[in-house]
Amino acid sequence: MRIDGLWHLCDDGILRPVIHGEILAGDGSWVKAPLLVDSGADRTVFSADVMEALHLQPIDSPDRLSGVGGAAASVVVDTQLRLTHDQAGKAIFKGQFAGFTEVEALDMSVVGRDILNLFALIIDRQGDTICFLGQDHYYTIGKR
Amino acid sequence: MIRAKQVPLVMEELTDAEELTKARAQDERFEQNWAWFEAHAAEIYARYRGKCLCIAGQELFVADTPEEVLALATAAHPEDDGRFTRYIPKERTYRIYAH
Repeated sequence: MRIDGLWHLCDDGILRPVIHGEILAGDGSWVKAPLLVDSGADRTVFSADVMEALHLQPIDSPDRLSGVGGAAASVVVDTQLRLTHDQAGKAIFKGQFAGFTEVEALDMSVVGRDILNLFALIIDRQGDTICFLGQDHYYTIGKR
Repeated sequence: MIRAKQVPLVMEELTDAEELTKARAQDERFEQNWAWFEAHAAEIYARYRGKCLCIAGQELFVADTPEEVLALATAAHPEDDGRFTRYIPKERTYRIYAH
């Protein structure tokens, strides 16, 4: 399985690795969202604008999110995230995801290591490659 | 960086052919909106700092809150399930994805 991302020019003029996905909403529809590929994030987190579109009921959880700037208001929801893979299929990730409730907390949702740890992750600006590799796909490192 | 307790996720493969066809059609609509956004991103970033955006029907909608912008976009393009939202930070600053 190979899941490809892309480089996205953000508002501060920085190119960042992004992947496109969709999240299951409370009404059974799927909400599309760009997600930052963030190997420094312990778990996948949805931004407040995406949370608003999802209309999901938060579940009771003691889990909290924190970062360099300290803690921010967040909730936990039970849902699914889908990503498109190389064979035009969809990988589905089911479970509990965190979400921020204030828009200023996060400008783009992030894919964290709860998903990234299931794959080998390549983020290669020089090679213009962002991909998650798993199952029948692998990589090798060579020397020129 | 986001620090949080990790909760294991279950990975599965979508095998339902009808659902896959539906998902691919939604992907195409999203990619059209994304391409429109990328083509206009510089102008959008400069004009709408601190605002919530939604791109639907290859058209930009802007409001102060996610709820408002989703209402505007959904009313104008109720059929477009390839819509997406973004928040543009108030200030242009380097980020280490902290909060």
